[in-house]
Parts: sequence; C-alpha cells; structure tokens
Amino acid sequence: MALHRLSFRLRQTVAQVRPLHGSGCGQQQEAVGMELETRPETLSIFRTQENDPACQSEQHLGQYYTVPPSHFHTVFPHGLPPRYQQQVKTFNEGCVMVRQPALELISHLKRADYSKPTMRYLLYGVKGSGKTMSLCHTVHYCSTQGWLVLHIPDAHLWVKNCKELLPSSYHASRFDQPIQASNWLRNFRTTNEHFLSKIKLRQRYVWTKRESTEEGRPLGELVDMGVSRVKSSSDVVGAVLKELRLQAGGTEGGFRLAVAVDGVNGLWGRTTLKKEDKSPVAPEELTLVHNLRKMINNDWCGGAVIATLSQTGSLYAPSSAYLPQELLGEEGFDSMDPFVPVPVSLYSEKEFESCYLYYLDRHWLQHPHSRTEEGKKELIFLSNRNPSVLERLCAFL
Amino acid sequence: MATRTLKTSILSLGRIHCHIYGVNVRNPLNRATYATALSINTSSQNKGFPDRGNRGPFNRRSRREAGDPRTDRMPVEQDWTAVYPTATPFRQGSVPLPVRMGFPVKKGVPPEKKGNLELIKIPNFLHLTPLAIKKHCEALKPFCTEWPSALDTGAKCDEHFPVKVESKDYVSAGTSLRNPSARIVHLRVSFCVNYDYAMYLLTVLYHESWKMEAWESEKTVADMEEYSWEDSPSQKNIMSTLVRMQVEGEGEAVREELLGRPEVQEYRDSVTRLKNEGESESSMHQYRDAVKKLLNL
Repeated sequence: MALHRLSFRLRQTVAQVRPLHGSGCGQQQEAVGMELETRPETLSIFRTQENDPACQSEQHLGQYYTVPPSHFHTVFPHGLPPRYQQQVKTFNEGCVMVRQPALELISHLKRADYSKPTMRYLLYGVKGSGKTMSLCHTVHYCSTQGWLVLHIPDAHLWVKNCKELLPSSYHASRFDQPIQASNWLRNFRTTNEHFLSKIKLRQRYVWTKRESTEEGRPLGELVDMGVSRVKSSSDVVGAVLKELRLQAGGTEGGFRLAVAVDGVNGLWGRTTLKKEDKSPVAPEELTLVHNLRKMINNDWCGGAVIATLSQTGSLYAPSSAYLPQELLGEEGFDSMDPFVPVPVSLYSEKEFESCYLYYLDRHWLQHPHSRTEEGKKELIFLSNRNPSVLERLCAFL
Repeated sequence: MATRTLKTSILSLGRIHCHIYGVNVRNPLNRATYATALSINTSSQNKGFPDRGNRGPFNRRSRREAGDPRTDRMPVEQDWTAVYPTATPFRQGSVPLPVRMGFPVKKGVPPEKKGNLELIKIPNFLHLTPLAIKKHCEALKPFCTEWPSALDTGAKCDEHFPVKVESKDYVSAGTSLRNPSARIVHLRVSFCVNYDYAMYLLTVLYHESWKMEAWESEKTVADMEEYSWEDSPSQKNIMSTLVRMQVEGEGEAVREELLGRPEVQEYRDSVTRLKNEGESESSMHQYRDAVKKLLNL
C-alpha cells in the first residue's frame, strides 16, 4: 500500500515533470519500458536498469544506474568522494548518474587505438560539478571491461600532511613517504586481485643486502612485500608502476592499463612539506610524485590516463580557479600536453530533475515544502544546479 | 598662592597614588578622569596610603616641589620660537591659552588643558608659526641661489624649459613620515617643442632599438613577452607523439611533413592562443577540437 501511494505521488510529480523533458522523454519511456517488466514505469524516469557502463549510451543521459554492491569494495576502496560514501551508506545503494562527460570519455576509450602512445584525458570544471564522480564512473567501466586500474584517489594527499618523510635509499636527493605508499598499495591490491598473480616481473629488484625479488615472480609478491615492509614501500610503488608501464599493451598476455588520477594538479606545484633545515620540498623530490609523473607521460602504450583537476585540496591555488592552465601551471600543462580536456558542467535541467526525483524517491527530502513546485524552484535558485551544493542543501531538508 | 600650590601638589599625588593601587575613585568609565578644579580626595590624602618610609618609589620627603607653570611668567611680546623651537608634544604649562578639549563632563564643559591627554595625543603645529618659518627661510637663504632675472614671465619659463616635473611633499606631525600622495609626480611636456629635434630623437631611438647587444642573447624563455610555439615543450611533445604514431621512419623529412599538416597548424594556433591570451572556455574548446582532430579521435 505504501508503494502504491508512493507511485501515485510520483505519478503526480511525473505528470508535472513530463513537459520539461520534451522529445527525449518518449524515447526513454520506450527503451526503459522494454528493459524492465517488474518495476512500475513511473519509478524509472530517473533510473535505468542498464548497470553496465559499457552499454550505456545517450538515451540513458540523466538517469541513475546502480553499481552492484559487490563492485563497491573491489573497484572503489578509496576512490569515492567522502560525502558520496556517506550517501551510499544511508541509501543502502550506490547510484551514479549517467552524464555527458563520462559517456564521452567511455566512447573515446572504446574507440581508441591501443598501439599508439597513451591518450591523456583531463576532466575540468567548477567546484562540485561532478568531476570525481565522472572519473569513478569511467573507472567502473574500465574495471568491468577487465582493465587494470591504477586509481590514485587524490594526488594532493601525497604532497601535504605527511608526518614521516624518509630520505630515499634508492636516490640520494629524494624523499620517501612510507605511510602513504603502503596505504595505496593495500588499496591497489584490493582492486586488482586477479591481476596480481598473472603479471610476472621482468626484472630483478634488490631491496636490501639480503632481500630481493627475482625475475619472473608474480606481481602480487612484490605488492605484499611493499605492504609489509613499510620502509621500502615507496620504492615498491615505483617498481610496480614501472612493470605495469612496460607490460601494458604487450602482445603476450597483454592487459589494458587505466591510470586514474584525481587532483592531478597536485603533482606540479608546491608542497607544504619541509626538510629538516626548514627548506621546502619540491614535488619532484618525492619518490611517489616522481614515479607518478613518469606514468602520466605518454611514452608508453596500451592504456589511457584519465585525470581530474581539483581545486579543493590544492595548495596555494585561488578558490575560483578551475581552468586547466590555472591549476596545472606552466610545467604541468607542458607535461600533460597534448591532452583532451573534457569539461564537466553543472546539472542541466533534465539532470536536475533526475536528481530531485531520486532524492524524493529515497525519502531524502523530508520537508513538505520541498515537494512543491515552489520548493523545487527554490532549490534550483539556491544551488544554481551545482551537484555538490544541491546535495548539501538537501541534506538539511 | 601657597594654598594653590599645595592643592595642585596634593591633586597630583592623589592621582599618582590612584594609579598605583588601581583604585579609580573618580569615574569607573574612565571618561573624565582628568583633573577637575574640584578636588574630591583632599581629605583622604593619607587614609589609604600606608607610610612607605624612605624606601618607596615615590619618596615624598626628598621629592622636588613642582614649580609654577611657565605661563605665569610669559610676557606678551615674548619670543615664541624659544618656547616651541621644534616639534614637541603639547605642554600645558608652556601654552598660555585656555584651551579645552574632550567629551564634556556631565552637565559641564570639555575638560581643561591641565592633564588633558587628548591635547597631548594630537599633532600640533605650535613650532611652525609664521615667525618661525621666516626664521627658517632666513637660515636657508645662504644655501640658495638667486632666481634668474631673465625668467620673469611664465611664457619665458615655458619656452626655455618645456618639460616640467611637479612633485608634492607633505608635512605632518604624526607618527609616520610618509604620505602616500607624495609618491605621485607629474611630468608635463608642452607641444610647441622643437619638432625637428623631436623627430631626430625618435629616429635615433628607433635605430638604436634594433641593435642587438651581446647580453640580449642570454634571454631565456621566462623573459619572452609572448609565447612562441617553435622550440617549446609543446611542440616537442606533439612531434614525438605523432612520430611514434606514424610507424614510418624518422628523420627531418618526416618532421617537416608533419609540421606542414593543417591539423598541426591548428593545434599550434590553439596552444599559442591559450598561452598568450590566457584561458577561457572558448580557447579551451578550440584546443580540444584541435587535439581531437590531430590524434584522430
């Protein structure tokens, strides 16, 4: 009975909503109607049952698809924005909206030639417009397609707030960050379990006088060693990246490598870390940053580099900066060049509708006024259709 | 006279002792803690103050008595420049004017100058009376030369000195010497200058600017006024990418051919535009289209 009442209420809102969608609606209705037989039609204006990112297309634009719960822990151990993680816990499901930037990226990835040098894609947009979520959507696609995903959740975490900075054993002038490196290796292991035994090392790595990893051993052994021996974990990260770079796109047992870096502008800029004599540490003096920069170069093939810019965690960048050159700086731009910039804009009218209906469906909007037309107009006005601002506003209602 | 002296001394003592013991008997709001002609505490002068003996900080016995204020002994035709020769704070005993300043006491008038902090705080120009300035000028005269007698009209000055520089100096007796308006300097050039000479000057400057000095060859990329795509990291990146994509052989000919392609030209224009004009949505879009075309997306 509750469901009936719910669907009745939604039917009313849908009846008002229909004129807004215009011509696209008819197509959606048919496509969606064909896919599902169990759910009533009214509930799926903003949802789609197409949960495989590879099969999503323009007709699913603005609709939410559900990420299977099993994928959450493997694909996104550390990648999702914190507020979204809370939302997933609250709603007991993880729904991601299908939006234009992610679809564009996925279509590029589908059509790219992987024998050519790596393509770099850069997602940019104002704060809160959905860059990290688009990145996660693309990462989900790569993961379902069987790619090896190297997800760095926030490159800014590596250039600030580091309590322990050890001088590197491998290179005299560089610094290691054992805690960050071992955390990342742990998450990397969770994401790519099935690859770890398949990839074999092509080189012998000597860690100390007594310890070394021989050629031909599986990559998993290297990663385990890095997680357990925290001191040399930064060098292990470097070795892992090097191996993956050499072996991606190889003809025998080749795999595709996706390097997803969030907040890539942190790699070129300043750090807040200081050496013992209080002089500042440049980013290239950090082992992790040095190795990651090598991954972002396009001198390897067989994969793609998908990056986002982020002002939120960045250091010494003005809060209104969002364009690539402002946040990357000269050095960063020259390193990333040539890349394909993908702009992420605020919600369009249709996307806003979907978001609003989704929150209504999840009973997230409790305030009675928010269910009225004026309430919706107020929300549009207050949030300016900015996804994160809308999410924060609705949290109060 | 003697009683007056006693009263003033008691008042001054009372005030000082007030400060020592932190007791503000007069007015807790500190509004009019200036001495008034009515002395409130004359009876209690010794009550709250235990005898410290000779060891106290204010040793009353060997303390010199304060004398008459100077104003009592000032004749009308005195030399004021001797009273205030330089910029000094206001001294109520040296200024023979019945000045009052401050917020009025309840149902009263602004407090008088005796012990008036407001008068001491503000800058005063008592040292710059017209007589004092005359004396300054007299003192400076030996260091000055005569004004040229031929330059007696404004027109003659303009004719001989067409370029005029005006600067302003500001005088204020305050905590800081600087006045930001003093930084503005006006330079005036009148147009009835020697035209031929002006042309000659411009020609010389033009030719001089074309001469290359030895140190100019040390100009680095950071010094350049505009971004030039040739020999930039951007060009190197795209060349190496394209060469690797081509699969055909290396060499100068391949590079030349690549450079000549229209997509590469478009890419070059978009990068130059981005760097020179700064970023905007439209320049980003142009760059995006150029890269997509170039890399066959």
